[in-house]
Amino acid sequence: MMNMIEKKPEVLAPAGNLEKLKMAIRYGADAVYIGGQAFGLRSRAGNFTYEEMTEGVTFAHDRGAKVYVAANMVTHEGDAKGADVFFKTLKDIRVDAVIVSDPALIVVCANAAPGLPIHLSTQASATNYKTLEFWKSMGLERVVLAREVGIEEIREMRRHTDIEIEAFVHGAMCIAYSGRCTLSNHMVNRDANRGGCAQSCRWKYDLFEMDGGKEESLLRDDEPFSMSAVDLSMLHHLPDMIDAGVNSLKIEGRMKSIHYVSTVANVYRNVVDAYCSDPEHFTFDPAWDEEIWKVAQRDLSTGFYYGVPTEKEQLFGKVRKIPKYTFAAQVLDYNPDTHIATLEQRNNFGVGEEVEFYGPGFAHFKQTVRDLWNEDGEPIDRAPNPMMTVTMTVDAAVEPYFLMRKK
Amino acid sequence: MIELITTAESYQQAEALLDAGADTLYVGGHPFGLRLPNPLSIEEIGKIVTYAHRRGKKVTVACNALMHNEQIEKLPLYLTRLAELEVDTITIGDPGAIFVLKELQLPLKFFYDAGTLVTSAEQIAFWIGQGASGAVAARELTLKELIAMQQKLEQPIEVQVYGPTCIHQSGRPLLTNYYHYTGSDGPVTKDQGLYLRDPKNEESQYPIFEDEDGTHIFSTEDLSLMGQLKVMHEQGLNTWKLDGVLLHGEAFVRVAALFHEARLAIESGAFVPESFCNRLAKLQPEHRPLGTGFYMKNPEDVH
Repeated sequence: MMNMIEKKPEVLAPAGNLEKLKMAIRYGADAVYIGGQAFGLRSRAGNFTYEEMTEGVTFAHDRGAKVYVAANMVTHEGDAKGADVFFKTLKDIRVDAVIVSDPALIVVCANAAPGLPIHLSTQASATNYKTLEFWKSMGLERVVLAREVGIEEIREMRRHTDIEIEAFVHGAMCIAYSGRCTLSNHMVNRDANRGGCAQSCRWKYDLFEMDGGKEESLLRDDEPFSMSAVDLSMLHHLPDMIDAGVNSLKIEGRMKSIHYVSTVANVYRNVVDAYCSDPEHFTFDPAWDEEIWKVAQRDLSTGFYYGVPTEKEQLFGKVRKIPKYTFAAQVLDYNPDTHIATLEQRNNFGVGEEVEFYGPGFAHFKQTVRDLWNEDGEPIDRAPNPMMTVTMTVDAAVEPYFLMRKK
Repeated sequence: MIELITTAESYQQAEALLDAGADTLYVGGHPFGLRLPNPLSIEEIGKIVTYAHRRGKKVTVACNALMHNEQIEKLPLYLTRLAELEVDTITIGDPGAIFVLKELQLPLKFFYDAGTLVTSAEQIAFWIGQGASGAVAARELTLKELIAMQQKLEQPIEVQVYGPTCIHQSGRPLLTNYYHYTGSDGPVTKDQGLYLRDPKNEESQYPIFEDEDGTHIFSTEDLSLMGQLKVMHEQGLNTWKLDGVLLHGEAFVRVAALFHEARLAIESGAFVPESFCNRLAKLQPEHRPLGTGFYMKNPEDVH
C-alpha cells in the first residue's frame, strides 16, 4: 500500500537576484530567500531593490511559491536606523517572512510590521529545543537550526516543540558556529556579522607550540594548517531529514550562479517529490548524484548530521579536481516542427562540442552541437559573444528556460 | 562604584584574587561554562561561593555555552544547585537557558553573554526585557560605541578590560583533524601553548586549543584598557572584567592587583595612566603583546 507524505517539506533555494529567483522557482523551489539593500550579510550578492522584490514576490505568489528576505546582520549602534521602514515596506510588498538573528531587529520588525512572519537566522546558533521554545514564545514562526545539530537532535527537538524547523541541506558551510567567528574582524577589519566575512578560515596557517619562549613548528609534511570545510550535501539522506520533522530544506548560496541554483533546486525538488509520493518504495536514483556533482565546487559531506566532522570533512592537501561544467546557453524558444531551438549565449560554445540540455522536472539529454546560426540566419561555427542569440537543431524537445551546459 | 570581576581557576587563586581586590569572581565548569581558565566542579564552586560571601564578595558562574539538547536537559539540576549555593549571578548566552531559568523560577540573576553578538543597547534592552540584569559586551566594539550604549541603559554593561579574546569557536576538533589528516597525533589542550600564525602577518600568533566545546582561537594581543580606565569610569562604564583564561596562578593575581590599584587611584583622583600601563607591561608574559583591540578604533574603520 502506498503511504504518501502529505505535508511535504519546503525546498528553499537562494536567489542572489531577480533572474535567479525566477529560475529557482521554475526549477522547483517552493520558496526562495533573497537580500534587500540593507541589513543583510551578503553585501556582495546582487541585492534586491523594493521594485525587484515586488516583481519577485508577484512572480513567486503567482506560482504558489514564497519569498523570504534575509536581514540577518548583527547591528551596532546606528545600524538599525531605517529598519522600521524597511520591514514595513517588506510587509506591504507581501514578502512571506524575514530571516533575522539580531533581537534588536526582531523587536523593530514586530513593532513596525506586525503580522510579518519572522524566522530566526542560523547566525543565532539555535542548538536545542528550549531555544526553539524561547523564540516561539517571542512570536517567531520558524527557526533555522545551527549547522552543528545532528539528525537525532532534530528528532528530539521535534518531540518537544512545534515551531517550524528549517535546516541546511546543501552548500558551503562556516567551519565555526555561525555568528561566533570574528577572524575577519581581527585579521582584516571586516565585520563578519555585518557582511564583511573575508573567509579567513579558508586561509593557510602555520601551527606551532611555544616552549619556553621558543617556537616549535607542529606542521607535518609541509601541510599548512587550515580550517576549510568541504561543502554540505544531504542529498543521499533526505528521508532522514524529512522523517526527523524538518519543515524547510535550505540550500545555501545567494552568491551562486543560475546554473548552480537551477541544478540544485531541480535535484532536491525531484528527490523530495519521489520520497514523499511513496516513502516505502523510495530508492535513490544515481542520476541525482551525478547531477549534483556537475555543479559541486568542493567535496561534499553530511556536516554534523551524523556526528562531529572529522578530517575527511575538511579541505587539506591538494584539492581534488571536480569536473567543471559551464553554463553555455539558455533556451528562449523552440520550434517542434523544425526541432530548432533559439538560444541566448552565456558562454562561448561551438559546433562539434558535446553539450547537455536540462530543464525543470529533471529533464535531461546530451547531444553534440551539429549546426549553429546567428540572428540573421547565417551559419556560424561558434557563438563567441555574451548574450548573443543563436539557433541550433536539438535532439529532443526543449522549452523556454531550459538551460544548456558544457564540460 | 567600579566593579572588578576576575576569573578564578581554583580556591587558592580565588583567595588570592579577593586579597588583591577583586569584587566578583567568575568561575564555572563543563558543560555549561565556556573558555574558563580551569573548569571547576559544583563542589569547588560551592566552596568559593561560601568563602567569597564570608568576605562580602560576589561570585558569577558561567552558563554561557551554546547548548545542545543534552546540555539543556542537564541544566535545570545545575541551575537549581547554583541557586541553592546562592550564587550572585550567572552568565547566559543561549536563549534556551533563559527559557529554562524562567520555567524553574529560580532566584538567580543573569547577565546576557553571547560573545560577539552583543553589540547594541537595543539588543541588551531586549535581554533585559527577558530578565537579564546586564550584559557582557562584544570585544569587537569600540569604546565610542560602548559609551553610547551605556548611556542608553541603566543596567551595567560589562567590558573586558584585560586578557585574551576569543575570535573563533568551532564545533569541530580542528587540531585533531589536522593531525589525523597528516597521519599523526599532537597537542591540542589549552595549556600546551599552541598558536596559529597567518604567514602574511609575521606578528600574528593566535592561541588555539580544543576542549569539550570544540576548538577556540584567540586574538594575538591580550586586551588592555588600562590607559582608558579613567575615561570609562567618567562615562559610566564601571563593570570591568579581567580574563585569565590563558594566564595562571600568581601571574594573573598580580595583574588583578594592579587593576585594583588603578581603580583606587581613579577614585581618589591620582590615576596616571602611563605609569600603570608601564607596570602592566612589566607583568605581561613576553610572548603575549598587549593591545587595545577594537576599543580605540573608529566605528567606521570596521565594516
